[in-house]
Amino acid sequence: MKGRKLAEYLIALSVSVVLALVLGGVIMALSGHDPIEGYSLMIQGAFGKPRLVGDTFAKAGTLCLTGLATAVAAQAGIFNVGGEGQLYLGAMASAIVGAKLTGVSPIIGVPLCLLAAMLAGGLYAFVPGVLKVKLKVDEVVTTILLNSAAIYFCSYLANGPLKTMDRGVNAGTDKVDPAFMFDKLIRSSSLTQSIFLTAIIALFVWYLMRKTTAGFDMKLTGQNGRFARYSGIKSDRLAILSMVISGAICGLVGMFEIFGLHKRFITTVSQEFYYDGMLVAMIMRYNPIGIVMMSIFFAAMKIGGLTMESSAGIPSSLIIIIQSIIIFFMAAENGILQAFRSWRAKKKVALTLRKEG
Amino acid sequence: MSDQSIVSFRHVSMQFPGVLANDDVTLDINKGEVFALVGENGAGKSTLMNLLYGMNTPSAGEVYIKGGQVRHFSPGHAISQGVGMVHQHFMLVPSFTVAQNICLGCEPKKFGFLSDFDKMNRIASDLSEEYGLEVDPHARIQDLSVGLQQRVEILKTLHRGADILILDEPTAVLTPQETDELFSVIRRIVKEKQMTIIIITHKLYEVMAISDRVGVMRSGKLVSVCNTKDVNERILASMMVGREVLLDQLDKSDTHEMTEVAIHAENLCAVDNRGLPALRGVTFSVRKGEILGIAGVEGNGQSELVEAITGMRDITGGQVTIGGKSIAGMTPGQVRSLGVAHVPEDRLSTGVSSPADVTDNLIVGKHRQKDFSFLGVHMKRKPIRKWAKELFDKYDIRGAGVDVPAGSLSGGNMQKVVIAREFSFETPVLIISQPTRGVDIGAMESIHRLIMEKRNAGCAILLVSADLDELFRLSDRIMTIYEGKITGEFQPENITKSDISYYMTGAQKEAEA
Repeated sequence: MKGRKLAEYLIALSVSVVLALVLGGVIMALSGHDPIEGYSLMIQGAFGKPRLVGDTFAKAGTLCLTGLATAVAAQAGIFNVGGEGQLYLGAMASAIVGAKLTGVSPIIGVPLCLLAAMLAGGLYAFVPGVLKVKLKVDEVVTTILLNSAAIYFCSYLANGPLKTMDRGVNAGTDKVDPAFMFDKLIRSSSLTQSIFLTAIIALFVWYLMRKTTAGFDMKLTGQNGRFARYSGIKSDRLAILSMVISGAICGLVGMFEIFGLHKRFITTVSQEFYYDGMLVAMIMRYNPIGIVMMSIFFAAMKIGGLTMESSAGIPSSLIIIIQSIIIFFMAAENGILQAFRSWRAKKKVALTLRKEG
Repeated sequence: MSDQSIVSFRHVSMQFPGVLANDDVTLDINKGEVFALVGENGAGKSTLMNLLYGMNTPSAGEVYIKGGQVRHFSPGHAISQGVGMVHQHFMLVPSFTVAQNICLGCEPKKFGFLSDFDKMNRIASDLSEEYGLEVDPHARIQDLSVGLQQRVEILKTLHRGADILILDEPTAVLTPQETDELFSVIRRIVKEKQMTIIIITHKLYEVMAISDRVGVMRSGKLVSVCNTKDVNERILASMMVGREVLLDQLDKSDTHEMTEVAIHAENLCAVDNRGLPALRGVTFSVRKGEILGIAGVEGNGQSELVEAITGMRDITGGQVTIGGKSIAGMTPGQVRSLGVAHVPEDRLSTGVSSPADVTDNLIVGKHRQKDFSFLGVHMKRKPIRKWAKELFDKYDIRGAGVDVPAGSLSGGNMQKVVIAREFSFETPVLIISQPTRGVDIGAMESIHRLIMEKRNAGCAILLVSADLDELFRLSDRIMTIYEGKITGEFQPENITKSDISYYMTGAQKEAEA
């Protein structure tokens, strides 16, 4: 039964990907570009050189963490749209700690920076969690509003009280201790040691969601809150916990950006990274393993798209259209699955009737 | 196809993903007869009638209404052919009046666009007079009893010109009196208006009382069609289940030496979801080895009573003690830890998580125990699955196994999942609400047996049910509840069903006043 379900799912997913790529190709052809060349450039652009492989996996790491953050909250029935704000606060908090602790041994300094990021992100997610559980305030509303609050607060700090004296920096805080920075794994790519932490977090989230009693309780709370309460599950506490974990992961994403790339908090630390992760998570219906896989696919498409633009001269807007179509079809995978099932059911009846008749 | 048949099914099959709900059904229904369709849960009765009403298109076979083949399946088409259906769950607008609901969708208009309320009221009162279905056209639906609401549903279909009326479990929500009234209405409209009635039901004595012919369905097949006068309840029951059913042999052991009180409620008060008083000072106690039955017309505080005792609802006055401990301010989980298991009235919204698999639904509540998790953190999937399989077999749950979502089970089997889980906690106190609602006779038999076994083993059981037969069969004592107050307490041996329904409707209060 389980095997057949998985097979059906994979068939539907591949059908939707192929359909998407074909339609994307048609659009490329219509606008006067060779689709085969376009797609091969996309693949080369994502995996053709070590530097590009590094960039792709760095991007995938970010998508995967933000996606998993969405999934943890969703498992308990909470839709955390506030990851972007949690990411900013995590980045800011770790940047402050990293700058203040200059000179301290990295063995103590780095964990403290990690902790600061997790605390800032987690606490900021705690607020909408408590509001939801205690006062029944819709979390989508609160998290969206808190996003702006966090982003503008960080922007204020970076432009005002915490603005660095360093030359050439428009809006940013002081540099963190260079000894705290994550080393690059591939030269001139953005892949750093943080990818190992990403892997550990992904493993932890998968374990929590799929193998633990807390994950089980979260799942039942998300599926049917009344049933969970009736069964004696401490739903309220779990809902808040899942939100805090989600926020802490987002905080770490912010920290990884600073300590891998920017060296200091800057106001452009995230280009809506969280929303991309949310998209990945929703397409994969919050399945943790699926999110990891899909993150790599998405990252390849994004990084590969850059080369498509520079080498084949395919305008970036067209690439975004193609990417959107692919996402669209993947999201339709569920509908394709349904169509496939009902087609097979019909065929089965026809068969049994023919046999009997 | 005989000349007199008004509806004809010819080799009709209906395939849903994974289930063949109707399997080569051929059936003729005659004009002017009352045809009863009986069968276990998931036997395909409702599916067949939904085809007639155009809700689904059959995968194979043909359907004829009044001699014409149905080519396009939609409720609109069915209604135009004179088919009307009264669903189990009424489809009425609660804030509208009776007349507005009857005319809904085909309102008379003034000046072409304004609703003509006077005319609506006239239509409603004319209809109710014509068919002898008394109802006040000006009353709002939300103020009417369930029996009257059903009457409005019937009038609604009549207004749309139905002469083939499908009633899906019409008596499930009715008191005995209301059922009697419904039956006399059915007899009248069949006799005077030459209507054809198809009635889907679980209750075999009703089949005997009202129908001319009866069709029995079992796992999608129509196994038998007979004249009602040629069969009896026992024959029907065994045809439905496919084996002999013995509904009247339950071992009731003597537990009178047990005197210890397990549940005690003193002057208990609670409010309903709208914040209005639902329980107004309820006092009772249940001792070990005893089943206390609560009888009442739905909506008189039974649901709130069960929720208050199990921690699902705040207690606003009085107190409840379980095993001597007050449950004031406790969560449902804390009440459970006092040794309480709870079979809720609504299995879909409370009793199971339908997307989770059967295994998850069976293990929840025990998943932190040492046998099933390491340090209460890591879930041990293997022992859990083994345990779930054992329960699945022990409680005779029928479905595609323990790895499918609970929501894919039929109602009766879903109920068995709830009962299996709750009974396997081995608690000394059981709160059971509507244990066999919408459950077929075979499952009902086994559920009753299980409840009786628990009683004989010394459990204190509070049983709330809308089914008087069930209460009489199981209870040691029966209390009636009306508008949030206890109106009487009886020994089932010393009172009749019709006397008890007198107390359920508050008639006794009026007589005293």
